[in-house]
Formats: sequence, C-alpha cells, structure tokens
Amino acid sequence: MLAGISGLDLIAKTVVDGFIAGLHKSPDFGFSQEFAEYRAYTPGDDLRHVDWNVFARTERAYLKRYRGETNTGIMVLLDASASMGFGAPVSKFDYAKFLASAIVYMAHLQRDSAGLIVFDDDVRNFVRPSARQGQLLRLLHGVDTAQLGKRTNFARPFFELQQFLKRRGITLLISDFFEDPEKVVDTVIPLRFRGNELVLFHVLDPAEIEPKLGQAALLVDMETDDAIETSPEYARVEYRQKMQAHLKAMQTKAQEAGIDYFLLRTDRPLDEGLREYLTIRQGRM
Amino acid sequence: MGFLSPWFLAGLAAVTLPLWLHLLRQYKRTPQAFSSLMFFERRVQSSVRHRRLRYLTLLALRLALLILLAVAFANPFINRTTGTTGRRKLTVIVLDRSFSMRAADRMQQAKAEAGRIADGLRGQDLAQVMALDSHLEALTQYERNRGVLRAAIASLGPGDLTSSYGEFARALRAMEQTSGMQLEVHLISDMQRTSLPNFRDLRLGPHTTLALHPVGKSNTANWAVENVVTAPQVYDPKQTRLTATLSGWHAEAASKKVSLVINKHVIGTKEISVPRDGRAQVEFLAFDVPYGAGRGEVTIEPKDNLPEDDVFRFAVRREDPRRVLFLYTAGRTNEPYYYKAAMESSPSTGLTVEAAPLERAAHQDFSKYAFVVLNNPGEMDKDVAQALCAYVQKGGAALIALGGTSTRTGKIPLAGERFTSEHVTQGAGYVDEQTPALAGVGRFQNVQFLESVQFQPKAGARIVAKLADGSPLLVEERMGEGRMLIFTSTLDNTTNDFPLHASFLPFVVQSGHYLAGGDETQSSVVAGTAVALRRTREQSASADVVGPDGKHALGIGEAAKALSFGLLKEGFYEVQRASGHRSLEAVHADRRESDLRQIPAETLDLWRNTGSSQTAATGGIEQQTVPWSLWRYVLAVALAAAIVESIFATRYLKERQTV
Repeated sequence: MLAGISGLDLIAKTVVDGFIAGLHKSPDFGFSQEFAEYRAYTPGDDLRHVDWNVFARTERAYLKRYRGETNTGIMVLLDASASMGFGAPVSKFDYAKFLASAIVYMAHLQRDSAGLIVFDDDVRNFVRPSARQGQLLRLLHGVDTAQLGKRTNFARPFFELQQFLKRRGITLLISDFFEDPEKVVDTVIPLRFRGNELVLFHVLDPAEIEPKLGQAALLVDMETDDAIETSPEYARVEYRQKMQAHLKAMQTKAQEAGIDYFLLRTDRPLDEGLREYLTIRQGRM
Repeated sequence: MGFLSPWFLAGLAAVTLPLWLHLLRQYKRTPQAFSSLMFFERRVQSSVRHRRLRYLTLLALRLALLILLAVAFANPFINRTTGTTGRRKLTVIVLDRSFSMRAADRMQQAKAEAGRIADGLRGQDLAQVMALDSHLEALTQYERNRGVLRAAIASLGPGDLTSSYGEFARALRAMEQTSGMQLEVHLISDMQRTSLPNFRDLRLGPHTTLALHPVGKSNTANWAVENVVTAPQVYDPKQTRLTATLSGWHAEAASKKVSLVINKHVIGTKEISVPRDGRAQVEFLAFDVPYGAGRGEVTIEPKDNLPEDDVFRFAVRREDPRRVLFLYTAGRTNEPYYYKAAMESSPSTGLTVEAAPLERAAHQDFSKYAFVVLNNPGEMDKDVAQALCAYVQKGGAALIALGGTSTRTGKIPLAGERFTSEHVTQGAGYVDEQTPALAGVGRFQNVQFLESVQFQPKAGARIVAKLADGSPLLVEERMGEGRMLIFTSTLDNTTNDFPLHASFLPFVVQSGHYLAGGDETQSSVVAGTAVALRRTREQSASADVVGPDGKHALGIGEAAKALSFGLLKEGFYEVQRASGHRSLEAVHADRRESDLRQIPAETLDLWRNTGSSQTAATGGIEQQTVPWSLWRYVLAVALAAAIVESIFATRYLKERQTV
C-alpha cells in the first residue's frame, strides 16, 4: 500500500514540484518565483503585477501570475472513537491509520512540517507540527500507538487544536463523521476562517453504507452500547436512504463552507482513493 | 357437503406444528455490534410486527396447505343435481325361470304379466326380454317389435337352477354402465326369500328404476325330499343303506308316503309324518341293487304345489370290488402285508389288493386294476415302465413308494424326477388334510420316518405332506389323464414305523379311494354343477354326455375339446369322459328353491329405492342427486398453496442467508 502511495510522490514532484505543492494552494499567490500564466489586465488589478516587458513589446497590459512554493504545516486529526473499530476485514480505524501514515510520509518527503492529533471525546495524543529530523518517526509512532477510545466529540479537540495552529496550513480530519453534518461543519469551520485549508476524509465501511441484514437483528452501538432491534427491510431501504442523505449533506455543507470533502470506502485500495483525491484537487487548482 | 373418508380429517392435528414453529417458538437473536445507531430508529415493535406479519403470511400458507391436504384425503363431496333426460330409455322385462317358478301356475302368471308389460309399451320404446336364474340371460336384442318380445316371452319355460337377485342387481349395474341408457326394469318373479343376498349386493345404478311384479301366493306350503344320502357304489347289497330327509316349508304337519325306486322298480315304501315346518328322516336298509349303473329315486306322495321337488334322484352303481395291483421286488413277499391288510379291513372301499413281484409285471394288463402300487421299486424293465406310463396317461393311477432299492437308481419311477436321500429319523411336519387323498387321515402322529428324500417336483405337482425338515413326504402329480401319488417312504415297516400306527389304515383307505377315482363319484349333485370331461385340452379322445331327455348334449367340437359340462337340468346324465371312464350323474334342483316363502313387502320397497327412484320429478325433467367428489380440486388448490409457500419460504430463507 505504501509502495502505491510512493507513486503519488513521483506525481507530485513531476507536476507541482513536490507533493505538498499539489496538495495545497499558496495563499500568497504571485510571490513564488515559478511562472504560472499570463492574464489580461482588467481595471482594478494591482499594477505591480503587470509585466511591463510584455507591455513594451505589445502595448497590452498582462498580469504575470506565479505559483507559490512555500512550505506549509500539515496537521492530521485522527478520529479514534469506538465506532472507528467497525469493519472487516480491515476496520475503519486501521484504514484511517494507513491514510494518516501516508499523508505524514508525503509531508516528510516535501519537508513540510506535519503534526498529529488523535482524539475521541478528548485529545488522546498530540504530536506538535514540525519538520525537524525524526518528526516522521514520531508521527508514525503516534499513529501506530493510537488506540480506539470512546465517543467522538469534535468540539473539544478542535478547540484545543486552535490553540496550536498559529500559522496557516492544511488540516486533514479523518473520521467516520457519525454526527450531524451541520454540527461537524460548524465545529471545524473556525479553522477555515483563520486561513487554514481544511480537508475532511470520510472513512466508512461498505456495511455502514449498504447494510444487509438476513433477519431481524439486535444492533448494539459501539460507542453508546445502546441496542436497537431492527428489520432487514429497514436496513435495506430506510437506513440506506438516511445514509445517502447524510453523505450528501456532508458534501454539501462542506462545499458551502469551502471545505474539501472526500469519501473513502474501506473496500477501496487506499492509494487508488488518495490518487483520485489528489487528481481532483489538482484539477481544481 | 360431506366427506367420504372423514377419518382423514384427523390429519388436521398436523396444523399445530407450523403454529408452534411460527408463534410459540422463541426467536433468539444474537446482538450485533454496529458502529453507530445514528440512522437506526428504535422500531422494535414495528420490526417485530413486520417480521410477524411476514411470518404470518408464510404461516397462513402452511396452515392452508396442511388443511387442504387433510381435506383432500377426506374426499369431500357435494350433492349435485343432474338431469337424466339425455339418456335413452330401455324397458327391460325380466322373467324369473328358477326352479320355484314350476310351482302351481307361477310361470303362466309371469308370462301373462310380461305380456301385459310388453303390450303397454309405446310405439318407439326400446325393450328387451331377459330370463333370470343363477344369472341374467338376454332373450332378445333391444327391440321395438312387440312380436319378437312376445315370442321370447312365450318361449320361456321354468328351469332347474336357483334364482339370484344379487346376480340380477350386479348384471343390471353392468348393463346400465355399458348401455348408457336409462333402464326401466320390470322383474316378474315369485320373490323367493331364499334368493335374497346381502342387501348391499342389491344396490341398483343411478339410472335404473325397478318395478317388481310378484307372482304366486306369498306363503305357499310345500314339502320336498330335501336330501338323500347313500353310497354311490354298492359292493355288497347286504350293506346298502339310504337315508332320505323330508322337509316342509310353511306347511302343517302331514303324513307322507315315501318310496324308494331303482330303475323304475319300487324297492320299498314307508309312511312317515313330517312335523309342521320341520324335517323327518326315513331309512332304507339292505335293499338290492342290480349290477351296473342304477337310476334311483326317492319320492313322496301325495304331490303338492311343486311336484318336481317331491322326487330326489340319485345314482347308484352295483359292482364287484375292484382290484389293486401291488408290485414289490421279487423275494420280498412281506412288503404287501401291511398295505393289503389295511385295505381289506375296510370293505366299503370296494378295493382288494393283488400282490405280484415287479419282475412279473410284464405279463399284467394294468387296465384291469383300479390303480397300481409300486413299493420300493428298483430298476424297472423298460417295457413295464412304458406300459405303466401308458396306463396312467390314459386315466389310470399309481402309488409309488420310495425306499432303499429306489435310492440306488436315484430316479423316481414313472415320474422321472431325480432324488437323493439321507438317513434322518423324524416325524411328519405338515399334512394337508384338505386334499382328497389325505382327507381325514390325521397328522401321522408319532410316526417315525427313517429317511428323508430330496427332489424337485414337476410343475403342477403338489406336495400334500412334508416331513419335519420340510422335505416332501407325499407328492401328488398328474400324468395325462391319470394321477400319481409319490410317497417318499415305503409301505412296509423297513424305513418307517408307519404301518404300526393308527393313521396307516385311513391313509391306505383314503389314498386308495382317491386313486381309484372315488372322489369323483357322487350319488347326486345340485343342478348347475359342472362335471369335468377331460384334464387337458391335448386329450384327443372325445367325451360324450347324454342328457335327461336322452339326447346327446355335446356337439362334435365340444366333444373333442370341452373341459367340462354344466349339469343344468334335473334328471340323469350319462357322462363319458375323455379318459373313457363312464358314469351316471343324478342331478337335483337346489332345495332352497323349495322354500316358497316370499320376501317381505317392506324389503322389496327398500330394494326399489336403491335405484333412481330417489330422483325427483321437477318440471317434467327427472332430476337426480349424485355425489360429486371434490378431492381433485382441493388437491389442485393444495398444490398451488405449496408452490406459493415454497416461493415465500425461498425468499425468506434468502433474506436470512444474505449479509
């Protein structure tokens, strides 16, 4: 799996000179020394960006645009709530750990500073963002030692996270988001307001999206231990409708808030999913 | 609606099984961990209700299937009303011609009544005249011609057989089915009580109406010679004995003069009083019988309304005792001792034993003997064996007793089967006392046989006695027209102690009587009895029967091929069988016909109602109620329920198995 992710590194280096450059868009667009494109001048544009050499040759004003190449901070938020333990043969938590490892590895390759927060209803582990020597090992160790906890509570870890994120960067939140989409977005949106870019990786097991029950079953919530008896018909029809509505709401709410949202099913190869996300992101830039 | 086999409804108890499975059995659920119940609603009750609803559909189908199966096996029916106007009508005029119709002028009354019925038919009505005795005989085809019907009625005369209303009803049921017509049957009979079978056998078909026309007085007094018992053969006139039984039915006490007549000569006459509705017996002893076949009669006087049963005919034959040839191995003169002593101690058998060594048998004319006994024969002269075979095949008989000398040849003389023997001391295990050769001989108690013989009897042979180990002791075989008994031990006391036991004497007498053909001779038989003319169709010699009227009863073809002949009329028949054996057969009518009492009127009414007289006339159209069985339809519905149930069950199981 990691071998597949290393392929992404090659793509990032080839296309945007570094994976993380393809992963984020510099807010200081134009300060980079790498030329991006010309654009016709329109009234109101900053005259400092006009390429006067071109104006001298063509008597037309064009703005010269660049892509930034600044290193940025990446913070991975890994949901370790009990519900992440669901799924077979690969649980959502394992899948999320692979994903977090891949991301921090790529950040390391790009010499970006990377940090990690493992949380459930509280922050269980925090690795301060850094690009120093040994940071990768600390991050991977943090990922590896992460244990499933109790219930998910976005509010508390995000409050603490805001204390640590002094500079702008990219925050990647990996969770199953069994919460009201509006509440999730409301919780994470402050990070967006502070100039951070926020990416939501929604990890779900196929059995959560399309459950199939052979007969009436007594289901026990992995976080609350609540039990509900349900029927196969309900799981086949109403549940799926609700789940699809939830996914749609998550996507819509995230888009409305300017947050990237990407659904990852655990039955899908991680590298394939990640590559697709990067391809979509690259196309958007 | 009803059920033809209601006991099968007990199968409805099986519905408790699906009820238990669906409603009473606890459904155990194993809790399953799930990441979040955020999208599940607490619908425990609705889920269970939904499930139960699903189960209830399946349950209903299963209950319906079981109920339908039980109902189908119970054979439900409904009564349907059907019209009978579609069938053509056939008027059947049946005249009773049994022996009892000879009484007074019953036959004339019956013919007059039949004539009136025939005259009353409409122009296009189809009719048929039939005669009834022990069976129903058509005298005409389906006729519209009144002349043909009247001629058939006029030609009819009383017979000597018994009437059978059971056979009459059975024939009508068959006739209704085969003709497909509506039968209007007129039975003209004296309605004898003795002709009435089990009432169930009187049932008529749904398209048959029965009109009964009784003739004669309901209770006519009658006396008859009911039975005569005497030996068919007379060897010694001093020992002749005849017992006649006189009976009166619905008759007052009366004095009757009883005469014994042989060959039209009155041998003796006696006066006897017959009690009211009772019986009396008269005996004639030591009367002389002339040599040859004698035609005997016992008559009573004065005559009554049915004079034909005042005479009882019997056949008696005066002859000298017949000889039995006992062949033994030369030098063993003691061998015939026991057999001869036993046979001659019973002079009523009419058999005397003549012993001769087997070596001198070539000079014998076997046809002079009633049968031949071969005791412990060894290797036989070829000519003697051929002569004996020819003798048996032509109707003779042989008793072959196997012993040590026979064992050396390993082959049964005449019969030809190979056999082996071993020394085993044992008693008899099985004796068929129903066979004529062993009737009344007992079970050979305490007799010890020292040898056991094993052989495979021919096809058609019968083992009529066995030893304790199951090996044959006495085997009956046929050879052509003749008969053989193979006794697997000797008739002296060399390989058994049989002659020293009481059962030896009846064995010798009864087997001798059988081999001499005594079982085929009776002093008198009931009209309708068949007499055997030959044993196989291959027998080319012709048979002959001269009837009571003195005419030959067989045509040329029948004489050459007929196996038997029915003695249908009272009187004497001279019968010559294919084997050449001649006999005189006396025939008398069944004395049940002498009881002239009639069936009660209420019984006759019940009989009438078993046919389509149940039908009710509705608007000029005859309607008939018939049961209509529904089991096929119920079974079809059950099949449909089974198919739907299997579809539901398959879907249900599929849901259970998918994850």
